[in-house]
Amino acid sequence: MNLLGQQPAQRQSPIHRLPAGLKLGVALTLILGTALMPTERLAWLAGVAALLVIVALLSRISPWFLLQRLLMLSPFVVSVALANTFQPAARASWREVAVRGVLCLATVILVSNTTPFSELLRVLRQMRVPALLITTLALMLRYLFVLADETQRMRRARASRTFARGRGVAWRTLATVAGQLFIRASERAERIYDAMCARGWK
Amino acid sequence: MHIPDGFIDAKTAVAAASLSVAGVGLALRQVRKELPPRRAPLLGLSAAFLFAAQMLNFPVAGGTSGHLLGGVLVAALLGPAAAVVVLTTVLIVQCFLFADGGVLALGANVFNMALLGTLGGWAIFRAVSSCLPTLRGQVTALAFAGWCSTVLASLACAGQLAWSGTVAWSVAFPAMAGVHMLIGVGEGVISALVFLAIARTRPDLASGAGPDLASLRTRGFIGFGLIVSLGLAIFVAPFSSPWPDGLEAVAAKLDLEHKAGDSFLPAPASGYSMPGLKSPAVATAAAGAVGALVVFGLALLLGRALVPAPGPSGREPAPTNGINAN
Amino acid sequence: MKHAIEITNLRYRYVDGTQALRGVSLRVAPGECVGLLGPNGSGKSTLLLHLNGILPEKLVADGTLRIQGEAIRAENLENVRRQVGVLFQDPDDQLFCATVAEDVAFGPQQLGLSDAEIKTRVEACLARVGLEHHAHRATHHLSHGEKRRACLAGVLACEPTILVLDEPTSGLDPRGRREFKALLRTIPATKLIATHDLELVVELCPRAIVLDHGLIVADGPTLELLSNEELMLAHGLERPHMLEHVHPHAGREMQRR
Repeated sequence: MNLLGQQPAQRQSPIHRLPAGLKLGVALTLILGTALMPTERLAWLAGVAALLVIVALLSRISPWFLLQRLLMLSPFVVSVALANTFQPAARASWREVAVRGVLCLATVILVSNTTPFSELLRVLRQMRVPALLITTLALMLRYLFVLADETQRMRRARASRTFARGRGVAWRTLATVAGQLFIRASERAERIYDAMCARGWK
Repeated sequence: MHIPDGFIDAKTAVAAASLSVAGVGLALRQVRKELPPRRAPLLGLSAAFLFAAQMLNFPVAGGTSGHLLGGVLVAALLGPAAAVVVLTTVLIVQCFLFADGGVLALGANVFNMALLGTLGGWAIFRAVSSCLPTLRGQVTALAFAGWCSTVLASLACAGQLAWSGTVAWSVAFPAMAGVHMLIGVGEGVISALVFLAIARTRPDLASGAGPDLASLRTRGFIGFGLIVSLGLAIFVAPFSSPWPDGLEAVAAKLDLEHKAGDSFLPAPASGYSMPGLKSPAVATAAAGAVGALVVFGLALLLGRALVPAPGPSGREPAPTNGINAN
Repeated sequence: MKHAIEITNLRYRYVDGTQALRGVSLRVAPGECVGLLGPNGSGKSTLLLHLNGILPEKLVADGTLRIQGEAIRAENLENVRRQVGVLFQDPDDQLFCATVAEDVAFGPQQLGLSDAEIKTRVEACLARVGLEHHAHRATHHLSHGEKRRACLAGVLACEPTILVLDEPTSGLDPRGRREFKALLRTIPATKLIATHDLELVVELCPRAIVLDHGLIVADGPTLELLSNEELMLAHGLERPHMLEHVHPHAGREMQRR
């Protein structure tokens, strides 16, 4: 489901099949290099851009999807541009910032849409990230969609019975929905604990 | 407020990341020691809850809407250390899955929102609610603390942008602080409303995580305090130097042109100074304090509006729309 | 003969004061398949949660509950949970891992099996429930019926001798129900099934127990109980229509589908 703006289906492509550790390592190198490289090294930036285009094509991710996500960067770029007009000799011009930002963002989008999150978690576990954080990440992902669904169902149910207009009512209703969501999440957490114990978790 | 990649430089990213690793590590240790095993899944579920709740659009005006960041809300419900872990988890997932916030900038985002905003906000919440221990007092405290957490986080964000040379402090600070003083109102109000909704249905959940998590052991308190203070010292203090020419000195070091006359933006920079106060930094602080007092007053009014006074005398009418009537 | 499950005068009260069980006594022999019926709020789920030691919160080995002859204590809790497999009401609570294979592997991992053994068990259990091609699917992408089957696979992977199921067919479409019932029939473990699905009870359970307000009000052969219209209506149930068309040997005919 596309409720959270995710790529609808995990297509198969050569990029998908690459090991997660490799993709992460390369991505991190690219991002580090791009964000920190002095702007004179245009060759680096151009090289990264070319690599990303190739990967994007190979991965069969919809270019429209990619563009949509990249556009999310625009408010930041616009803000910096505005700020720069008031600070004409600022160290970083908005163009530089835009280019770096776009390249880094594209890298992350490509990696995250060609790698199942469970693989990323496995890499994190290998890097000795604390188990509590990994479990929390795993459970969050697992129940993200469950809770998002519940949210949607509650909103629809409320909307079906809301006839008054006005922001005050809307805010109260939304807060009630959010409150319910937490309570349900809390109760579900207890049931999950019981289910984990039932299969031997200690 | 999620900083993307390319907007902060190496030293800022490294400094922020180091502080974040220390802070989150400390929080994880704290949680492991004090969280009863039965509540372990609650961390992940709360992170999922926050994420889902952040999807709710609280309509403001003309298509814009407010959203919840939720640090102080979760801290009030689960305790500060757990809240740090929960917020960090949300930020990590937002960064990797939804490209909301950069990978290198993750350290900065975690510091601003999961550490500074959450812990600073929680400290304020505890301070205020211990002076006003009723439900109404807690709602007031949460509304005010929510606002504070947003503003605090934005200050550090502005500092990081300035330290990186991306945007000068004289522009970043008024822009970020100004905008987030408005956004913070939404955060405060939404946090308070949601807390109230939970408190009315399940008061046991809203009474916090119980004595084990609601208070920090001394070592934890000191540890978090150090980390947050260090961050403020690195990212904010240099720009808010008490010396009148501090700003100019910093600007010269960063090689930025900073002459008030050249700037297109006279109003915000001087709008934060009050008549009669010469030093811009002191004036800013005074203006900020006034702003905070105003917001606190609003929070008190909100508390009164949402929670009827206890006791038979002077009973205020309950909200009439019936939605929260349980 | 050791009973698989032996309950004597079990009482339970929730934190908020509700007396959920008021003295329940029953015995289930090894290999039996028993249906547990009763209106909502009768205490069925509460009773089931006692069978693997989740309730009461503080275990008291006073002999009110024995699994394979042994009272449940902190020391043998692990063993009890291996022997008693519980299928919870909401599959989303039970499928807490990211993929199907990971979730089925959870039980064997907790048991400390080797990687190779875990892999074999996971494959075998998935094949048993018909999900062998879904091993790497994300749990939240499964349909309701697939989720229920995945939960069953996860429980079977621990190789329990007693299977406790809480509303296993609720929310399933007719085909899902038929398939699940056929699946349950193939499992030789002792089964205690709490359900509103009266057809399921007629088809699978020669014996039925009716629980109401925390007490057992009837315990006997299924057809006899379910044909007793007065009893059924008095306890929030009803006499299933299928009984009109059911011959006493119906179970066997239904199997031939």
